[in-house]
Amino acid sequence: MCKQWTKCKSYLKLVAAYIRLNCNIQLEYKGAFVSQFAAMFLNNSAWLAFWLLFFDRFPVVKGFGQNDVVTLWAICAAGFGLSSTFFYNVQELAPLIGRGQLDTWMLYPRALLPHLALGKMSATAVGDLAFGYITYVLLVRPDCAHFALFVLLTLSVAMLFVGFNLIRGSLAFFVGNAEVLSEQWFFSMITFSTYPSSLFDGWVKLVLYTLIPAGFVSGLPVEALKHFDLTCAALALAGAFAMLLVGIFCFYLGLNHYQSGNLIEMRN
Amino acid sequence: MIKILKQIWAVTKVSARSNLAYPGEVLGRTVFMAVILYIFLKLWQATYSQSGATRLGDMTLAQMLWYLTITESIYMSAPRLTRQVDEDVRTGTLAVRLIKPMSYPLYCISFCLGERSVRFVFNLLIGAVITFCLVGAVPVSPFSLAMLAVACLFGFILDAFGQLIVGLGAFWLEDTSGLFLIYTRLVMIFGGMLIPLELFPHWLKEIVVFTPFPYLVYGPVHLFLHPSLTEFVVLLKSQLICILALGLVAAFVYGQAKARICAHGG
Amino acid sequence: MNAVETVELKKSFSLKTGLFSRAKASTIVAVEGITLTVPEGQAVAFVGPNGAGKSTTIKMLTGILKPTSGKARVLGFDPWRERQKLVKEIGAVFGQRSQLWLHLPPKDTFDLLAQIYDLGKHDYKVRRDLLVERFELGDFIDTPVRKLSLGQRMRCEIAASLLHRPRLLLLDEPTIGIDVVARQRLRELICQWNKEEGLTVFLTSHDTGDIASVASRMVLINHGRIVLDDTVASVSQTVIQEGLEGDLEQVIAHLFAQPAASSAGLRG
Repeated sequence: MCKQWTKCKSYLKLVAAYIRLNCNIQLEYKGAFVSQFAAMFLNNSAWLAFWLLFFDRFPVVKGFGQNDVVTLWAICAAGFGLSSTFFYNVQELAPLIGRGQLDTWMLYPRALLPHLALGKMSATAVGDLAFGYITYVLLVRPDCAHFALFVLLTLSVAMLFVGFNLIRGSLAFFVGNAEVLSEQWFFSMITFSTYPSSLFDGWVKLVLYTLIPAGFVSGLPVEALKHFDLTCAALALAGAFAMLLVGIFCFYLGLNHYQSGNLIEMRN
Repeated sequence: MIKILKQIWAVTKVSARSNLAYPGEVLGRTVFMAVILYIFLKLWQATYSQSGATRLGDMTLAQMLWYLTITESIYMSAPRLTRQVDEDVRTGTLAVRLIKPMSYPLYCISFCLGERSVRFVFNLLIGAVITFCLVGAVPVSPFSLAMLAVACLFGFILDAFGQLIVGLGAFWLEDTSGLFLIYTRLVMIFGGMLIPLELFPHWLKEIVVFTPFPYLVYGPVHLFLHPSLTEFVVLLKSQLICILALGLVAAFVYGQAKARICAHGG
Repeated sequence: MNAVETVELKKSFSLKTGLFSRAKASTIVAVEGITLTVPEGQAVAFVGPNGAGKSTTIKMLTGILKPTSGKARVLGFDPWRERQKLVKEIGAVFGQRSQLWLHLPPKDTFDLLAQIYDLGKHDYKVRRDLLVERFELGDFIDTPVRKLSLGQRMRCEIAASLLHRPRLLLLDEPTIGIDVVARQRLRELICQWNKEEGLTVFLTSHDTGDIASVASRMVLINHGRIVLDDTVASVSQTVIQEGLEGDLEQVIAHLFAQPAASSAGLRG
C-alpha cells in the first residue's frame, strides 16, 4: 500500500513538473498564447453565432432548441479542451509513432502510456476549455446542481476523447501511413460531436455510439444536463470509460505488435 | 498590359499544375464532403419537416443541399494566402520578390487563383456526386454554369485581396493568424456558407450587404440556383466595387510595406 | 561484470506487400545472429552503413524491440522483460533528436528529468552542479535552448543524459553538424566520464574522428552481422590487400563494401 502511494506521489509530482514546464513556455511567448487562446474562443463563437442565427429562425428542431445547442457546444469544447490541454500527445499519437518518436519515450523509466500521454500539453486548448465553461455559465445560467453535473460530464467527455484518440492513434502500429486515415476519423468525430445527435437514427445512431462515438458527447451528456437525468449521465460516463479501456487495450496491443516488429511497412 | 496578363496566366498555370500533383488529397476531401453533406441533409430535412414548408427562403430541400455543397466547395478551396504572405514577410522572401519583374500582389493573386480553381473544381465534383446521390439533381444549364464560373472567379479575386491585406499585417503585428481567423469566420457567417442570407434576421441582412463577404460565397451560389441576367449584372457590379475598394486598400498597405522594406533593408 | 552480453541475437521482420488475400509475405533479416560481450567501463564504437542492422541491434539491447531469437543481458537485466528497470541505468543521446525543450533554458529540462528519474532533491542538485561545472554550462544554463549553438546544445544533451548516473551511455551521432572545436571538446568530455565514472559508452557514428577519439573498441556490423570486432588501435594499423593503410575511414569503407557472407537479406 505504501509502495503504491509512493509511486502515485511520484507520478503526481511528474504531472506537476510537466504543467510547470508548459506554463513556462507560454510565459515565454505571451503574445502568441493570448492570440491563440482568443482564436479558439473566436472560432467556437463563430459556430455558436451560426447556431443562434439558425435557432432564431427555427426555434426547435427534433427536440433541440437554442439552449441545447449552447450546452452541446459548451460540453464538447470543455471536454475536448481538457483532453487536449493535458494529453496532447495522445491526440498526435499517429504521427508520433510514424516518425519513430515512440522509441525515445520507451527509454524513460516510467510507465509508457501515462508518461507519453502527459508528455505534451497544449496550452492553447485552454481556450476551448474556458470557452466551454464561460458559455455554459453565461448563456445557460445553470444552478449549482447542473453546474456540478456539467463538471462531471466534462471529465467524461475528456476521457472519451482520450480513449478515442488512443484507438485511432494506435492504427499507426498496424497500418503504414496511418496519419491520413486517422485524421479523417478524427475530423468525423469532431464534426458529429458538434451537431445534435437527435438528427440521426437507425444504423447511423449505432455508429455514433461505437465507431464514431460522438453520441457520448452530443447525445447522452446533453440529455443528462437538459433533464438533469442521472441515468443518462451514468451511461455517458460508462461509455467514456469503456472507450478509454478499449483505447488502452489497442495501444498495448499495437505496442506488442511494434516490438515484435511485424509491420506492413518497414521501419528504419 | 498584355505583358501583365501573360505573367498572371503563367503563374496561374504553374500553381494549378502543382496542385494537380496531389491527387491523394481526394480521399481526404471525399470523406470530409460525405460527412458534412450527410449532416447538412439530416439537419435541413428535420428543419423542413418541422416547419412543414416545401420552400425555406426561396429554396427547396434539394436546392438547399446543393446550395450548401457549392458554398462548402468555395469555402474549402481557399488557399492560405495570408499564411504565405506572412511567411514571405517574416523570412524576408518578400524583399527578394521585389527584385522580380512581376508585382508581388499580382503574383500572389495569380498564384491564389491557380490553386483555388483546381481545389474548387475538385471539391465541387466530389460534392456534386454525393449530393446527387442524396437529393438528386437541380436544374442546370450552360448559362447558369457560366454565370457561376464568372461570379466565382471575381469572388476568388476579392478573397485574394482580402487575404493579402491580412497577410501584409505581418509588418505590424506579431502574429496574423488571429486576424486571419477573424476574416475567415466573417466569410463563413456573413458569406452565407452555412445558412443562406434569406434566412438571416432582417436587421442583419441590411448590414451584411454592405460588407464584401456575401459576394464571395452567397452571391455566386444563389445566382447558380436562380439564374437571372439582371441578378448577374447586379452581383458583378457589387463584386467589382468591392474588388476596387479592397484593391485600393491593398495597394496602400503594400505601399507602406514596401517603404518599410526599403527603409530597413528587408 | 559485463555491461552487454548477447548470444546469437537475431531479428527478422515480416514484410507484407499488397492487401488482404493478395498479400505477399516475405522475411527481412535485419540482424543475423549477433554474439557480443562488452565489459563494464568499455567505450565501444558500433559502426555500420545505413541499413546494416545497427539501430535494430540497439533497439533490442534497450528493450524497444523483441528479438526473433537469441539472448541478451544488459547491465544484468533482460531488456524486453525488465525494460523499465534497465532504462533507469541507461542514458541516451541522439544527435538528430533532442530531449531538451527548445523554448526553455536547459535548466528546466534538467529539473524535469529529475522528476522523470525520481531523483532525490539534494542528490539531484549536487549532481546537476557538478555537470554544469564540468561541461561548462554555467554561461548559458538559463538561456533558452533555441538560442544556443549546436555545440552548446549537445553539451547540455550529454550532461542531461548523465544526470541520473547511468551505467551505460548510448550516443547516436552526437557530433553531427558540430564545428571542429566544439566536437573536440565533446569527445574529451565523453572520454573523461568514461574513465572517471567507469561509464560504459556505446557510440554509433559515421565520424571516424569520434571513433578514434572516444572508443577503444570497434564493432563493425554489415548485412546484419558482425564483420569486425577489434580494438581501434589495431584497426587503424590494419594493412589491407589493396594497400589501404593507417586511414581509419578508408579501412571502414573497404569493410563496408564487402558483400554479405551468408544468405542474410531478403528471402521471399
